[in-house]
Formats: sequence, C-alpha cells, structure tokens
Amino acid sequence: MSAWRSAALLCVPLLSVAGAAQAQPADAAAWLRRIQDATHNLSYTGTFVYQHGDRSETSRITRLASADTERLEVLDGMPRELVRTRDTVRCYLPESRVVKVERRSADRNFPALLPGELATLARNYDISLGEVRRIGGFECQAVVLAPKDNLRYGYRLYADNASGMLVRAVTIDAAGNQIEQFTFTQLQIGRVTPDMVKPRHTTSGWRVEDADAAPARLAGWSLNAELPGFQKVVELTRRMGESKPVAQLVYSDGLAAVSVFIEPLAPRREPLRTGLASLGAIHIYTREVANHMVTVVGEAPAASVQRFANAVQYRRP
Amino acid sequence: MKERISALMDGELEGRAAEETFDLLRGEGDAAATWRIYHLVSDAMHGQRLLSAGFAERVVAELASEPALLAPGALPGRTPIERFALAAAASIAAVALVGWLAFAPQPPSPAPVAQASAPGPAVVVLPHEANDYLLAHQGFSPRVTLQGMAPYVRTVAERPDESDK
Repeated sequence: MSAWRSAALLCVPLLSVAGAAQAQPADAAAWLRRIQDATHNLSYTGTFVYQHGDRSETSRITRLASADTERLEVLDGMPRELVRTRDTVRCYLPESRVVKVERRSADRNFPALLPGELATLARNYDISLGEVRRIGGFECQAVVLAPKDNLRYGYRLYADNASGMLVRAVTIDAAGNQIEQFTFTQLQIGRVTPDMVKPRHTTSGWRVEDADAAPARLAGWSLNAELPGFQKVVELTRRMGESKPVAQLVYSDGLAAVSVFIEPLAPRREPLRTGLASLGAIHIYTREVANHMVTVVGEAPAASVQRFANAVQYRRP
Repeated sequence: MKERISALMDGELEGRAAEETFDLLRGEGDAAATWRIYHLVSDAMHGQRLLSAGFAERVVAELASEPALLAPGALPGRTPIERFALAAAASIAAVALVGWLAFAPQPPSPAPVAQASAPGPAVVVLPHEANDYLLAHQGFSPRVTLQGMAPYVRTVAERPDESDK
C-alpha cells in the first residue's frame, strides 16, 4: 500500500468530520471541547486583532504545544510581551525594565470545560450551534452561548472546521451590542520552533515582581450574597506590584470569571478612587470596606461586577 | 468522478455512493490522483496539520508557495467595524495611539453605565495598578482554555505619562 494511500484512508474519517458542517454532530458542547483541545494540542502562530468600542490592538500569539509554551507579543503602542509556560506566566515590560511573574501552581489544575464544568456552563448559558461562515479564509462553525439571565454576557465563538481553532470570539451584551472581539487575521498551524516562543528580552538588571500566590482562607471576609451561577473556585493571598499583600477570591460561571481583591488601605497618600472603569468586556469596580480597598475585576456586565463588590463584608472573626 | 470525490471530501456522500467512491480511490489511477490533489488544495486552504511523513512534505511544499498573510483588502463583505479592525491590523502606525488609552476616561459610551439599572456609579480612571489586577485575574479565566493567551492582551501596560493625565 502506498504511503499516500494510507494517508488518504486515514483522511477519510477526518474529512468527513471537518469537511462540511452538515456532517458535524449537532452538539455544541462537543464543539467547545474541540476548540479547547485544538487550543491546547496544536502548535500555531498567528496575528489577531483585539477590538473593543472604537479601539483595536494587534498582537501576535505563538504556541509550541510540545513544550506547553505560549508567547504573546502586543504589536501596537508600548512594547510588552507575555510568555506562559507550564509553571509561570511572565509579563515583560521593557520600557520600565520590569518582569511580572505569576506562578501557575494555583491555576494550572483549573481545566474549565471538563464534562463537569460543561454542566456548570449549561446551567448558565444556552449553548447551540450557529451558522457556518468564512472568516479570514477559514470555514468556521459558530458556537453560540446565550446567557440565561442578564448577569453575564453572551458569546459567539467561530471555530475553524478543519482544525477546531478559535478564529473569532465575540462578546455580546443583553441588548445585542458587540462589547469586544478577538479575530485572527492570519493563522498558521504547525511549523513552530522553540525560538519562536522564547522571550525577546534578557532580564538581567530588571526588577522582578513575583506574585508569590498561596492558597488561603480569609478570616472575616465573605460575600453576604453570591451572584446566581457564580461559584468560588480559588481563594488565595498574593503580592501585587512591588510588595503589596492582597487577598484574591475568584468566582466563575464556567466561562466568565470575576476576581475579588481585598487589601489593607495604606496610609493615604492620595484619596482612594472608588468607582467603575472598563476595558472591553472587563469591568473593574473599587470601593472601601472596613478600612480595606475592595477591587472587583470581572468579564461581566457592570451591574454584576458592582453586585460582587457591594456584597463584600467583613465580620470580626 | 471528480464531483463525487469532492462531495466525499465535503462529507456529502453517504452509504452506497460513498462506498463506490472509496472503491474508485482504492484502484489508484486518476481517482487517486484527484483525491490527492484535492487534499493538497484543502490542506493548503486550511493550513492543516498532516498525517504521514511523505504526505506532509508534499503539502508543506505546497503551503510554502502559498502566501500566508490574508490581505485585509481581499476579504469582501465585511462590516465597517470589521474593516476597521483589519485595516488597523495592517497599519501598526494607525493604531499605535490607542493601546492603553482605553483606560483613559471613556468617551460617551452606552456600554457600562447605561447597563446599570440603578443610578450608575462614578466612572473613574483605572488606578496605575489596574494592570496588576488584570494580570492576576486572567490566569483564572476559563476563556484561556478556549483561547490561549489572547485574553491577556487586556493586561497591558500604560505609559506613566499617559496614566497621569
């Protein structure tokens, strides 16, 4: 049997899946798993645009699956680079000569879409298959996650039929407005070398800011009302920036995550700026509770992020 | 014959028709050559990973002759917003201004405040440390398992002179 023929015969089951949408099983959850597997198992390099409001930003992302290493380089504006390995995420800021280090011991065992998590997801979103659409030369299957309430955003994910790679991800609010989107404008699968995921910067002489995160039980702090659908997934203490000790609680509904940060208020150098700020689908709300600063960061509507912040309470243990 | 092979690749043949086409392919000859060429085309279109060493080399050679960059202008039927995004991708200079300015006071926008049903909170400039919070948060977002590091672009760095405005 010739080599190509073995290859061709092997191709048949793949193509019958990858070739046409009508041949796909009508199972949106299976598509989510397929996207996740492609993101994890494939090596790829591509350029994508992150767009929110009338702003957009171009970045390059490269993953070498065999080394479980991924590099993100923001191409617009001030240069910055992030490299994620099995153990750490390092954020390189060459202009200020700072490298920020997040150890991944806490989040490494945090697979989002194992079957159990998919059940969580399905409680909060109606998951369905959408249209088949060509995006940037890729024939894509849309997977639609429609929120079951107004506490979270909706999503339209477009995955390449052939590889399962997520080519476009759009976040949509309750009124149907697009909040942000990520779109690959160029994507190549395979042919990634170790050099392509190495950080560009040598960091000798740079300041290293290590988050030094450790699991913790926070004494006295709690939420007096949890938001429906969101469950606590992590509770830890960490450092922030140069040396500030901060507590972090993370809640998730299976797709969106909300972090609650609690830190003692330093003797005031400037008044605390409380209020709401936003970046794409992320809202950040800051308020003062019991002489502490509470900062909630979440990929959720402003009202949800505020509800988290307003639920934070302190009772002397 | 070509139509049937094409239909087979697209998953449009079932049962008897599919089996007959498989038989054609087993006979090598023209059908097999067509099948191989169609795969080259398909793989080149999708930049797909390949299955056997010999097969891979041929397709890599094909891919090498294909331009990988998708020219924004060559993509028809885009909405104005998409066109803007792609045009921006093509011109770093055009978007060099935006970056972290997203954290400057927002222009009138219906997004955050209008959604709050109660009287909205004060919309503030993010503190300098906002990036630290964003970086700390992203690692725990389930989205990373679907999208890799892409969401981390939301953890970028402002220039100190901009953040002080």
